[in-house]
Amino acid sequence: MTPAGPGALRLERLWEQRPLKRSYDVIIIGGGIHGLATAYYLAKEHGIRDVAVLERQYIGFGGSGRNTAIVRANQRTQENVRLYDEGLKLWPILTDELDYNLMFFNCGNLNLAHSEAAVNAFRLSVNTANFNHVESELLDAQSCKELIPILDVSDKPKYPIQAGMYHPPGGVLRHDAVVWGLAKGAAEHGVDIHQGVEVQGIDVQGAKVTGVRTNHGPIECAKLGVMAGGYGAEVCAMLDLELPVHPLTIQAMVTQPLKPFLHHVVSSGAYHVYANQTLKGEIATGAHMDPQVNYTTDATAHYFKHQAEALTDFMPALKGARFLRIWAGLADMTPDMAPILDGNVGFDGLYLDLGWGYFGFKSGPVAGKYMAEFIARETCPEILEPFALDRFLENRYMGETATTMKYGHWD
Amino acid sequence: MTFRLTCPVCGARDVYEFRYGGPERGMRPAQEDLSPEEHFRWTQFRTTRPAPQEEWWYHAAGCGVWFSTWRNPATNREEGPAT
Ligand SMILES: Cc1cc2nc3c(=O)[nH]c(=O)nc-3n(C[C@H](O)[C@H](O)[C@H](O)COP(=O)(O)OP(=O)(O)OC[C@H]3O[C@@H](n4cnc5c(N)ncnc54)[C@H](O)[C@@H]3O)c2cc1C
Ligand SMILES: [Zn+2]
Repeated sequence: MTPAGPGALRLERLWEQRPLKRSYDVIIIGGGIHGLATAYYLAKEHGIRDVAVLERQYIGFGGSGRNTAIVRANQRTQENVRLYDEGLKLWPILTDELDYNLMFFNCGNLNLAHSEAAVNAFRLSVNTANFNHVESELLDAQSCKELIPILDVSDKPKYPIQAGMYHPPGGVLRHDAVVWGLAKGAAEHGVDIHQGVEVQGIDVQGAKVTGVRTNHGPIECAKLGVMAGGYGAEVCAMLDLELPVHPLTIQAMVTQPLKPFLHHVVSSGAYHVYANQTLKGEIATGAHMDPQVNYTTDATAHYFKHQAEALTDFMPALKGARFLRIWAGLADMTPDMAPILDGNVGFDGLYLDLGWGYFGFKSGPVAGKYMAEFIARETCPEILEPFALDRFLENRYMGETATTMKYGHWD
Repeated sequence: MTFRLTCPVCGARDVYEFRYGGPERGMRPAQEDLSPEEHFRWTQFRTTRPAPQEEWWYHAAGCGVWFSTWRNPATNREEGPAT
């Protein structure tokens, strides 16, 4: 029985738990936003409903439940801008489609430049964005201060602010709502979601994927999607498929709730920080990346100090704000900071959607939409073609390392 | 939680004193006749497994020595190769 009235507790489950079958048309490994979105679009757009999402922990356990939910479309290269721009435009559509409040707040992103080189990089990014009809503009320091009054635009900070790149359509969402909304939507269209099911091996016959082995026994499938985030390369290693994907730990944190004063996402490559004020009033800020490859989700005191020093250097009004929580997740970094989206890689029926690094939240639904098309039609949609794995073997890096937030594993 | 690495000169120090130099990759293949694929396999194409690996570190905020050591990416702790 559901109590009625506004504010009443919702007791119904988000999706119906069906029994685990021994065979599916499509199995997706990973109950993050990429796996759930792919399953959702497979069922909704392509009528492929015999789909299972296998998640060894709980949905949203990976990066999808740990990110800072910042979205934008001002990437560096055209191939990426196109994909992220469509991704950005999907949020309001998905909110309606899923009938679930994803709390999309298009507050705009202001990225700060503290050097001549950074200003030049912004010029290139702004041109690429504008050429692709994405709103983005270069601002002088004074105009940055008009947007964000607590910025110190004097020459006092260690790295004085020289300019800003303002991207009005970007913003933030609530990441958990996206995970839950997609799970609910996928299940409504017939997808099975199984938590606590760990894929421990992948079965092949000849050069074709035929199923997976799990802690709940073997399950057959005709097609397999690896959408396991930071663990994706480890999953592919079950097939002896080596990938240029390096798992790194990223940390983020929030302060105590404060009255509203920061109305945009602000970021700085030189200080290695970004911050925004959540609807609860907390300053959510990230993202420090520890440079050594590793699979831990350990947070460190070192980073509290780094973050406090960096933020208060160019926003001194934040001095005295207290941090409440810190957490960490994995980022699956590729050498060119662009993802690997590919199909029939080494084995027929094997589809990869991984290597998103710290960009995989904003791209989740759009990647899922096109991966579903790829899986259903067995031909790569044009928009995904540039992201094939063999670009690396042909020495064609995508150049996203020139994006303004840069923490390669060499940093 | 942070962890400590053992510098051969200074002893156990906080990891943030060091700079990561990547895993040990063996000798660089001869450049002559090297295909892009071979080049890439040597530089990047290697899955990091959650098991001890040999890697390079630089004691940036200490004595300035480069050294190699074994660490387990599953735990972030120094741990020698499985015997
Ligand atoms: C602190 C932090 C901040 C970030 N901030 C942003 C941001 O502001 N904007 C942005 O766009 N991106 C951001 N990201 C990146 C983003 O979170 C990830 O790229 C994204 O969530 C990846 O989603 P996914 O679905 O590919 O993987 P995940 O969400 O990691 O899901 C993979 C799932 O696979 C499961 N799995 C793994 N192995 C197996 C197995 N063998 N069997 C079954 N299941 C398995 C895992 O348990 C996990 O739940 C951030 C990440 C972190 C950690
Ligand atoms: Zn030393």
